[in-house]
Amino acid sequence: MNKTSTLRNALMLAPLIGATEAWLTALGLWLMFFVVINAYDVSMAALRSRLIPSTRLLASILLAATLTSCAELAAQVGSLQWHQHAGIYAGLIALQCVVLEHNGFFQEPRLDRLRLCGLFGALMVGLGLVRELIGNSGLHFATLVPGGFILLGLLIAAWQAWHRPTPSH
Amino acid sequence: MNRATSVVILVLLAGLGIGVTYFVQHASEPRISAQQRLIDSRTLLDLLTPDSYDNQPLDQPLVLENIRLPNSTLLGGYLATKASQPSAVLLRSQTLGYEGSIELLIAIGANGKLLGVKTLKQSETPALGGKIADWPNTWLQVFTGKSRNDPGDTGWALKKDQGQFDQIAGATITSRAVISAVHDALRFFDEHPQQLIGSSAHE
Repeated sequence: MNKTSTLRNALMLAPLIGATEAWLTALGLWLMFFVVINAYDVSMAALRSRLIPSTRLLASILLAATLTSCAELAAQVGSLQWHQHAGIYAGLIALQCVVLEHNGFFQEPRLDRLRLCGLFGALMVGLGLVRELIGNSGLHFATLVPGGFILLGLLIAAWQAWHRPTPSH
Repeated sequence: MNRATSVVILVLLAGLGIGVTYFVQHASEPRISAQQRLIDSRTLLDLLTPDSYDNQPLDQPLVLENIRLPNSTLLGGYLATKASQPSAVLLRSQTLGYEGSIELLIAIGANGKLLGVKTLKQSETPALGGKIADWPNTWLQVFTGKSRNDPGDTGWALKKDQGQFDQIAGATITSRAVISAVHDALRFFDEHPQQLIGSSAHE
C-alpha cells in the first residue's frame, strides 16, 4: 500500500464510520458515491486530454464540486431525512474525487476500479447491517460512532487472524 | 493542447458548474422546503391527538421571543385551535442540562393541563441523560395531565429534592432541568392565558 492509496483509504473511513448506523443510510451514501464518481469519470475523460497539466487540478475541483452539489440537491429531493443524517459525509465525495484524480485512480483498469467501488460498498452496507443488528438486539452502543470504530477494529482483527498463515512444522 | 484553450475550458467549466448548480438548486428548492415542513410538523405535532385540532398550528406562531423564566427560556410557541376555539398551545422551551442546552416542546391544553413533553434537541450523556431524546418516552409521560397547581410548587421536583417525581437513573441534573422547565412553562401558561389563548378565544 503506497502513500497515496493510504490517503484514499483514510478518506473512506469517515463515511464508513459516520454513515453506517443503518444499512439503508450506508447504501444511499454508497449509491451517491458511485453515481458521482462515474459521472466525474466520464466528464473528466473528455476534458483531460484538452487541458494542460497545470490546470487539471482546478478543473477537477470545479467538476467534483458541481457534481457533488447537484447530487446532494437530488438526494434532498429524494429524502431530506436521509440527507440530514448522512449529508455531511456526502460532501466528502467531492474531496474523494479530487484525491482519486490526483493518485491516478481513473487511469487504472476499469475492472480494478469497479472492484474497489464494490468492496467499499460491500463494507459499508455490511458494517451498517451488523451495527443495526447489534443495536436492535439491545446493545445501543453499536449504533454510536465509538461503537462503530470498535466494531470495525474487531472486524479487521478477525480478518487478519483468518488470513494469517498457519505455522507449519 | 495549449494554455489558451485550457483557460477557456476552465472558464466554461466554472460558468457551467455555477449555472447548473444554480438551476438545480432553484428547481429543487420548493420540494425540499415542502419536505422540511412535513418533517417539522411531524416532529412537532405528534404531541397532539389528530382530532384535537383542525388548524395548521405551525402557521399560527405565538408572539413569544426569548422570554426568560426562572429556570428556562421560551423560544417560541404555536397555537392549536379546533372550530376556531383554542385547544392547546405548544411551547418551545430551552433549558440548561448537564452537557449543554436542552430544547423541549411542551404541549399544554386550554384547561392548563400538560398534554405532553418532547425533546427537540439535547446533547446529554448517551444512555444516561440522553434518554430524554427517546420517543415515545415513559419518563416524560409521567408529566402528562399535571398542571401548575397539581402537584403544588414543592411537589414539582425530584424525590431527592423532596418533590414527587422519579429521576432518570444517573442523570440528576438533566432530570432536574427538565422538571423545572416543564414547571416554568405551566406557570407561564397559568399567568398569561390572555397572551397565549385569550386573543383568539373571542374570534
